[in-house]
Amino acid sequence: MAEPEADLSKKYDAVIIGSGAAGGMAAHVLTTHGLEVLLLEAGKKLNIEQELRSMEWPYDNAHRGGLPPGSYSLNHNEYTIRRPPFGPGFEKSKNLYSYIGSSDYTKNIVVNERENPYTGTNYAWVRARCLGGKTNIWGRLALRLSDYDFKARDRDGFGENWPISYSDIAPYYDKVDLYLGITGVKENLPYLPDSIFQRPTKLNCAEVTLKQGIQKMGRVLTQYRAGVTSDGLKHNKYRSRCLSRGACERKGGCDIHAAFDSPTGLIYPALDTGNLTLRTNSTVREITVDPVTGKASGVHFTDSQTMKDYTVGAKVVIVAASTLESARLLLLSKSRLYPNGLANSSGHVGHNFCEHVMGPHVAGQATDLVGKPSTLDDGRPGGFYLTRFRNLAEKHPKFIRGYGFEGGSGSGMFPPGTDSSGFGASFKEEIRKNQGSYIAMGAFGEVLARYENFVDLDPVVKDKWGIPALRFHYKFGENEHNMAKDMKETAQEMFEAAGLKIIYVSDRVLTEGWSIHELGTARMGNDPKTSVLNQFQQSHDVKNLFVVDGSAFVSASCQNPTWTIMALCWRSCDYLADQLAKNEL
Amino acid sequence: MSAKEPIDLKQDRRQWLKTSATALGAAVLPLTLPSTEILAGEAQSAAAPAAGSPAAVSAEAKSVARFFTPGQHALIEELSETILPADSHSGGAKTAKVADYIEQMVGESTDDQQKALWREGLRLVDSMSQHYNGKSFVEASTEEKIAVIQVLSDNAELTEIPEVKFFHELKRLTVRGYYTSKTGIHDDLEYKGNRVLMEYVGCGDPTPPTT
Repeated sequence: MAEPEADLSKKYDAVIIGSGAAGGMAAHVLTTHGLEVLLLEAGKKLNIEQELRSMEWPYDNAHRGGLPPGSYSLNHNEYTIRRPPFGPGFEKSKNLYSYIGSSDYTKNIVVNERENPYTGTNYAWVRARCLGGKTNIWGRLALRLSDYDFKARDRDGFGENWPISYSDIAPYYDKVDLYLGITGVKENLPYLPDSIFQRPTKLNCAEVTLKQGIQKMGRVLTQYRAGVTSDGLKHNKYRSRCLSRGACERKGGCDIHAAFDSPTGLIYPALDTGNLTLRTNSTVREITVDPVTGKASGVHFTDSQTMKDYTVGAKVVIVAASTLESARLLLLSKSRLYPNGLANSSGHVGHNFCEHVMGPHVAGQATDLVGKPSTLDDGRPGGFYLTRFRNLAEKHPKFIRGYGFEGGSGSGMFPPGTDSSGFGASFKEEIRKNQGSYIAMGAFGEVLARYENFVDLDPVVKDKWGIPALRFHYKFGENEHNMAKDMKETAQEMFEAAGLKIIYVSDRVLTEGWSIHELGTARMGNDPKTSVLNQFQQSHDVKNLFVVDGSAFVSASCQNPTWTIMALCWRSCDYLADQLAKNEL
Repeated sequence: MSAKEPIDLKQDRRQWLKTSATALGAAVLPLTLPSTEILAGEAQSAAAPAAGSPAAVSAEAKSVARFFTPGQHALIEELSETILPADSHSGGAKTAKVADYIEQMVGESTDDQQKALWREGLRLVDSMSQHYNGKSFVEASTEEKIAVIQVLSDNAELTEIPEVKFFHELKRLTVRGYYTSKTGIHDDLEYKGNRVLMEYVGCGDPTPPTT
């Protein structure tokens, strides 16, 4: 597809690198301020509705929704026993995808691992190079952080506090809620602040059983807080309200865009202002620097398809390429002035890399639902969220920080229980009888931000565009493993308290990276010696350089990061526009 | 065959492997064969339909897309129906055309080991049927078919044995083919979703409003 021509001869107010949650938000906020913005995306603009096909029946799909021959997606076992890069050993498959690219609906959204190698320690790195990035298929759980997270060091002495408090970001969470839409139920929890919710989804019967069963333990189960508009958005013509069609869990993406995605939620409205120029297929190789002023002058990029090289100038450079790609780009942008990479006088770029540990889970059954007629449970963007309860009022002896559970129950299009033993008439009847009675939940826990967990550039391996690959030096530590054991024990204890029959419970930790919540590689802070960015995600070293994605996080918290990424980015871009107007950048 | 004790598969398989080897005029197969050897061996058996395959399957039905012989296809129909049979509630794997799905998946696969596993597995299961029932799997009665699959199911943890490995693969693709079919989704599970709702119902209200 021919991309619209972008005028590369003029100097833009701002160039944004990356079009996901952060890049889209930067484009929205800055164009609203009247700035002339160029948005560069490494991947292509997909005909996304055609990719997602949310209501297609499996029997109408050539491969029942699976990958076509010659395509392969990596599984957990392969991520565990093999070190990256992936490619060797998979020669039979022309297209090799991360574990998320296992369906006909997601395969074109994630990258071909073969063209995008990385090296080092085991890591399941999921990348989506296309307009909107991972927001096209994100899990949609939209949670706020609180001062339990921003000031976590004050509570347990580990790591660093964030340079902001909840009161600084709360107005921006409100703006994100109202502009993009979120469903949920108010719970008045100090450690998980409420959003401005639209119409909530409902719990089904097994979920109500669990909610009531754990109430006496003082634990809270609430409806999935989804970044989905359930009432619709009058100001956005590109998005429909949620119609409870129920393909959310099966396919990931939403072809009517009730679930937030960056293109329809942020970028198309920004294009409508007339202030935004979009160029896809633009793989940025380096942020260029003015050798006299030391400021960022623009970017050097390669057309991802034609392989031609280009440069473009801008007053401000905004990096929003995703936590790990942003760190990679800063490290790639070496110069005489900045020999360790741009914005890296602290040596912290790529370090303090953190995320969420997951894997421990429980699966059970509400036995009173066995044999009941099939119910319609498949019409929600998510089931439930069981909120954090560790290290709030009391201190756990084995680990610091916390975790929450995501879960759900009920009948779906593909039945659970098909991996049970047996065959024949009784096997078939058991699957049918039990299908609506299953309930399961899995934990997401905070991985501590440690300097020792980091990424750097591989000295040898390069990607398809000749750009040095990222090399991982990253492992879960004792705190994560102790937390994982506790996740299993509490999951079991809560299902038992609710009278649910436990089928399976596990404390097996999934490969690093599985949560797709990588964070922290260019953290904010007040001290330029130990942080990369200030509280407005502005480089301490280069004042017209901003890094507005998850890399700015100081700690991971246990809440899913997307809503916080966007709230922070909005706040930083308001500051940026103000500074630019005052000629301070 | 109606043994109360589970069959010792490792012991018993020596018997049908002999039968199988005799029938093919080949040496007793080791537990694991390089895929190329199996494929080379199978080229012969694929050319001549297995004894007991229904003569009704005409040569015309064998289109370019065919991967299995008509005899093998008929065997897959019977095997998948034994895994997920028709009952008073809904049709089984045959109604859902699971064998066509399996033939497409295996035929299109770029994984030669998977292809070899299917050809090898089909032969071994037929040999098992000859051993236990004195007739091919397709010719066996429903009870006799169940008895053969029961041996594999009872020994499901012995995944290093090719016929057990095949059983897992057969069950995996049968389940996937069936529960992604109209028969599986609508007739058997009576799935009610994938439609526009005014609002998700939740616990307590049995009648969802639809638009």
